[in-house]
Amino acid sequence: MKQTKYTLSIACCALILLVSGCTSMKDPATSNIAVSKNAIANADSADAAQFAPLELQSAREKLTRANAAMADKDYKLANDLAIQAQADAKVATSKANSSKAQAAADALNADIRVLQEELTRANNQ
Amino acid sequence: MRIPFKLALITSAVLLTACSTAPTNTTLLDQTRSEYQVARNSDSVNRYAASELTQSAEALDQANAASTAHENAEKVDRLAYLAKQKIAVAEDVAKQKSAEAVVADAEKQRNALRLASRTAQADKAIANADMANQIAAVSQINEQAAQATAQAEQARADRLEQQLKDLNAKKTEHGIIITFGDILFNTNEARLNPSGVGVAQKLAMILNENPQRTVQIGGFTDSTGSADYNMALSVRRATAVSDILSGAGVTAQRIGVKGYGMSNPIADNSTAQNRQLNRRVEITLSDAGGNIVGAR
Repeated sequence: MKQTKYTLSIACCALILLVSGCTSMKDPATSNIAVSKNAIANADSADAAQFAPLELQSAREKLTRANAAMADKDYKLANDLAIQAQADAKVATSKANSSKAQAAADALNADIRVLQEELTRANNQ
Repeated sequence: MRIPFKLALITSAVLLTACSTAPTNTTLLDQTRSEYQVARNSDSVNRYAASELTQSAEALDQANAASTAHENAEKVDRLAYLAKQKIAVAEDVAKQKSAEAVVADAEKQRNALRLASRTAQADKAIANADMANQIAAVSQINEQAAQATAQAEQARADRLEQQLKDLNAKKTEHGIIITFGDILFNTNEARLNPSGVGVAQKLAMILNENPQRTVQIGGFTDSTGSADYNMALSVRRATAVSDILSGAGVTAQRIGVKGYGMSNPIADNSTAQNRQLNRRVEITLSDAGGNIVGAR
């Protein structure tokens, strides 16, 4: 009888610990999902759909899975996926930005080549 | 019972030691570490993405710590993935900033080139305008010269016409013909009298002023006397005119001399007046090119 009581109290403690552990992951997961959404929006406005479609797609998929995990109350998985979605969205943004800057540099260099040719022609005439 | 317990203890000790000496390593973690090394050694990443590099170093530290703490491969990979993505961001930021630096530099270069191009165009336009002015000036001079030449030509033509008129020249099918009548010669002689000399000198002056023109001098007589005599006389009279022209500076190449004797009369020889008309020297003047059309 005494042993049964002891066992019950341990089980209770474990349950409380488990529940509190799970709920303690709920807030960070919610906040990280919000941050991910924001990061994906940033990537979108940086034209990631054009310049980094794979990275943007990966971020979106992970956000979707994070939301699904939230619905399943698997807050730890939701949090991990949200953090990965953020990382992917940031890569999408930086890749799009660097591609655009590179394109601008290429265009300008091409422009300069044309100008140089024109100048050479003008001087030779 | 005692021996198995001891064995279990040793086994677990070995297992623990193994764990503490062999951290959890994954392919992704290895890959991430080498990517981090590449980024850390890159000049442009250090220059343009220092804070991103620091963040990726922190993320990699967490992955390494998990590895050392024997965390499971799944957790190590999750942390390594985050580090890997941060390294990618650092590389991209470095690329972006490098490209922007190129743009800034290239814009300066382009502006300099545009300026040079415009300067070259302006220089060319000025040079073209100068050349056009020079061409205009030269063509004006040419035009004036041509006008002056035309005026001189006209003046000479006018003067020639007047001079020929003074010499009673006639335009015939054979060209312009000046006739030295019998009265310009001493009777029955080949020598010109002073009036004849004057006419011949006027003719010499015309030839000197019109150096392209040549003359054909033909001598003619009436039918009185022998043909031989008349032929000789016609030659001598033509030569007398030729001599005066030569004496006045007309070169021999421009003068042709021929005696026709009593042939080609211009009137029948029945009266003394007509015979005097037939005794003559005819000078045919060439055109401006030196040609005598249908010379007799």
